Amino acid sequence: MYFILLSIFFPILAGLFLLIRFRTPLSGEKAGTDRKPLLVLTGIFLVITAVFAFAAPLTAREGFTLFYLTETLPIYFRIDSVGQLFSLLAVIVLLCAGFFSFSYMKHEERESRYYGFYLILFGVLNALCFAGNLITFYLFFELLTLSSMPLVLHNGSREAIMAGLKYLFYSLCGAYGALFGIYFLYQSCDTLTFTAGGVLKETAVTQHGGFLLLTAFVMLLGFGVKAGMFPMHAWLPTAHPVAPAPASAVLSAVIVKAGVLAVVRITGYIFGTGFLRGTWVQTVWMCLTLITVFMGSMLAYREPVLKKRLAYSTVSQLSYILFGLAVMNEASLVGSLFQVLAHGFVKAALFLCAGAIIYKTGKTRVEEMRGIGKEMPLTMWCWTIASLGLVGIPPTGGFVSKWYLALGSLKSGLPVLDVLGPIILLVSALLTAGYLLPLTIHGFFPGGDYDYSGLQKKEPRKLMTVPILILTSLPVVIGLFPDTIAGIILMAVKGR
Amino acid sequence: MNFICNFPFFSILLSLFSGTVCSVLPAKAAKAVNRVVIIAVGLMSAVLLLYLLSTGESFIYWMGHFPAPWGNEIRAGVLEAGMALFFCIIMYLSMAGGAHKLPGEVVESKHNLYYILVNLLLSSLLALVYTNDMFTAYVFVEINTISACGLIMIRQVGRTIEAAVRYMIMSLLGSGLLLFGLCIMYDLTGHLLMSNIKESVAQLIAAGEYQIPLIVSVALMCIGLCIKSALFPFHAWLPDAYGYSTVSSAAILSSLVSKGYIFLLIKIIYRVIGFDIFNSTRIIDVLFVFGLMGMIFGSLSAIKENDIRRMIAFSSVAQIGYIYMGFGMGTQAGMVASVFHILSHAATKSLLFIAAIGLTDVSGGSRKFIDLTGAAYRNKWAGVAFTAGSLSMVGIPLFSGFISKLLFAQAAVQVEGKMLASLIVLGISTVLNAIYFMKTVIRIYTTAGESPYSGVTFRDMKAYAVTLLFFILLNVALGVSSQPVVNMIEQGLAMFA
Repeated sequence: MYFILLSIFFPILAGLFLLIRFRTPLSGEKAGTDRKPLLVLTGIFLVITAVFAFAAPLTAREGFTLFYLTETLPIYFRIDSVGQLFSLLAVIVLLCAGFFSFSYMKHEERESRYYGFYLILFGVLNALCFAGNLITFYLFFELLTLSSMPLVLHNGSREAIMAGLKYLFYSLCGAYGALFGIYFLYQSCDTLTFTAGGVLKETAVTQHGGFLLLTAFVMLLGFGVKAGMFPMHAWLPTAHPVAPAPASAVLSAVIVKAGVLAVVRITGYIFGTGFLRGTWVQTVWMCLTLITVFMGSMLAYREPVLKKRLAYSTVSQLSYILFGLAVMNEASLVGSLFQVLAHGFVKAALFLCAGAIIYKTGKTRVEEMRGIGKEMPLTMWCWTIASLGLVGIPPTGGFVSKWYLALGSLKSGLPVLDVLGPIILLVSALLTAGYLLPLTIHGFFPGGDYDYSGLQKKEPRKLMTVPILILTSLPVVIGLFPDTIAGIILMAVKGR
Repeated sequence: MNFICNFPFFSILLSLFSGTVCSVLPAKAAKAVNRVVIIAVGLMSAVLLLYLLSTGESFIYWMGHFPAPWGNEIRAGVLEAGMALFFCIIMYLSMAGGAHKLPGEVVESKHNLYYILVNLLLSSLLALVYTNDMFTAYVFVEINTISACGLIMIRQVGRTIEAAVRYMIMSLLGSGLLLFGLCIMYDLTGHLLMSNIKESVAQLIAAGEYQIPLIVSVALMCIGLCIKSALFPFHAWLPDAYGYSTVSSAAILSSLVSKGYIFLLIKIIYRVIGFDIFNSTRIIDVLFVFGLMGMIFGSLSAIKENDIRRMIAFSSVAQIGYIYMGFGMGTQAGMVASVFHILSHAATKSLLFIAAIGLTDVSGGSRKFIDLTGAAYRNKWAGVAFTAGSLSMVGIPLFSGFISKLLFAQAAVQVEGKMLASLIVLGISTVLNAIYFMKTVIRIYTTAGESPYSGVTFRDMKAYAVTLLFFILLNVALGVSSQPVVNMIEQGLAMFA
């Protein structure tokens, strides 16, 4: 219990400490030459938090109530396997991106604010993973939006502020949709504690099942905003690219997964898959995810700015996960959760690569990056391997997840969608290759007319390359041992 | 009869007479008297509240020991004592938070006048809370109006005089309508005492007599109090009155004065007309519709506003809308939500007004958003406080605003016909609130180049910063441990019946 609390409140307090201790300079002056104390402290805080977050699941399995918001709404924490899986992803990505920022943020202002909110975000994410009931989850879901917003509007430009506001409003609208659902669930459930198989009352299902379906749909749409599901996806390609690159990595790899976790929780642990399977909600939801998958890939394919392209790719890839959740059978759920890990690592790695390129060369558009592989070979190799992981080439994790997703869809026996699903996934995989690999191709093979004389060695420092290397190798590792990982996930799905 | 039962009477008289005393005292002493009186009344209310919670039933106090038709009655229950205590806390914090601005806002020679008005206001609020007699209520409504007008006008710039005149006209219209309603009621029932009127009304309803005059009387009283508490569309007086008066006045006016009238309306609903009879009329539907409209149009006006004080003032229109929506639901749960929102809004809105003054002070006194850019860095305490208030207004969990939204929604779910409308409007209003409050928060935390204004540190404003801290704590306390408060409200409403 103490480790759960520590993993949540230690980083939040540490973040507040950084915000207060390292004063933000009043005007646009550079944050001073002496960055060392800030970086050392942040590094120590990050590592300690990671240790707490790792230790928490090992120590306590039973839940506990922190306090009561109202008589019937406890703030309750409990660790289960799904939460643990998401927490694992969050910790690894946040650590890697955090250390990457130490080098990257050198050219940005107001670093203390960035690290302060970064740590707060860490705590909130831990809390989300360990939340044991819907109201606790909702509480930290709101806080997640608020604590991640400063990262989006970090550079303070008009564009960033508008993007931050857009992010805020989409998220708040979504969260209200979810809250709307909670109001009703409050009446139709005995408890809002996450329980595998759902907590709906029998009587409520028979009396107003139709209305509950509508509630479920509104909640899916609401939480789906965070996961960038069509039709509420527009904030994502605006907000993610304007953040500093490591923050974009965290936003795209982890924070959007909070939306996924929310959907896992409400479908599996509140409504129960038995209640939703075979209803109109499932059908509509699947259609929406397939539209998102295809549309996201198409938009990414046509996007010239690298980070925007990656953001569109996030839109598309997240809906793979949501598609798997919508199919609601064992294989598809395994595929989804596998994709959560695979996409998390890959997308973080890709954004960090993009960050390294921006940091070293200042280039943001894809067509400017011809010959980049000659200048930054290590980074571009990582980019290539990570890209293959996203496309789904064996032996990467992306292949395994897509395999399970297709399998689950074909087994589901839903009319039309069972075959249409895998087809769209395949087409989108082709598009993924189409928008990621040109960078590799033109990067390493700039063509005959390319002028090689202007090339310099631009490989970034170890502080940047090591996190990228780690994040690139992880999807390959999980792809090499799919059985072990799938076994763990299967246990999680079965609700242990 | 226990000695504590005298406390309501003491509180009213103490604040009334301290007002008179203030007129001959120098400004400094008047200020001290004002503070002491507020604390004393607050303590008495707290003791009274504890006493009532322990006995578990309300009591009626005869002024001068004359029984009803000749003497005047005071009634105290858990809700009344709780309200009085809460009003004192907010009033003290508002006065403390605005104290450092007073010399700049009001001419030196009028300072003791200012404290007279505040004491009078407190006494009239207490009387509205405690009285059991409709005519006394009317008298103190007038006293309240006059002192509120004085509080607006005491800062003598053109806009405040205009605002005060506007406020006067609208308020007098309101009290006039209240008086009409009262007269008709007196005519129908022959009583002025709340409990007696209620009996007669029940008899009239049972006999089916004078239905239409009765409804007209109730409607007139409702409209009168709606105008005075600035329910949409009677809110035209509000933005100027709150926007240009002294900062303490703005905080007090928005969080206490309008709430006093609303509390009187609750008393009328429960103790004069009877909750069930009131709910069987169409009046609640009207209140419901105007409440919903207020929630949306108040926020829309706030979004368009380019002046931070007026923006906060317009947001009050929306929040008052919430309270009337709760009335309009016509259920016990709706009423509980409304009463909780009275507390929550009072705590938040005064916090916002006090925090806003800190921000405008470090921006050369300008209230335009463009000048407020980066103000939160120049006055950190005010920035944090404003952010906390905004989060509460938007309804982020852990702040009081979330609990009131939760209570409203839970109440709405139980009312078949009004459920969808209330939930949708709650949603729209949440998003609209977020638009203008978060926009402001981002604005004050944006650093854009060299700022011409200098900042302040904790040492320059200890009292102010501590006040803000207490306000934030009050908000968080209401948001985190709301259950005892809600239980108290439920108990208090049960005592009303």
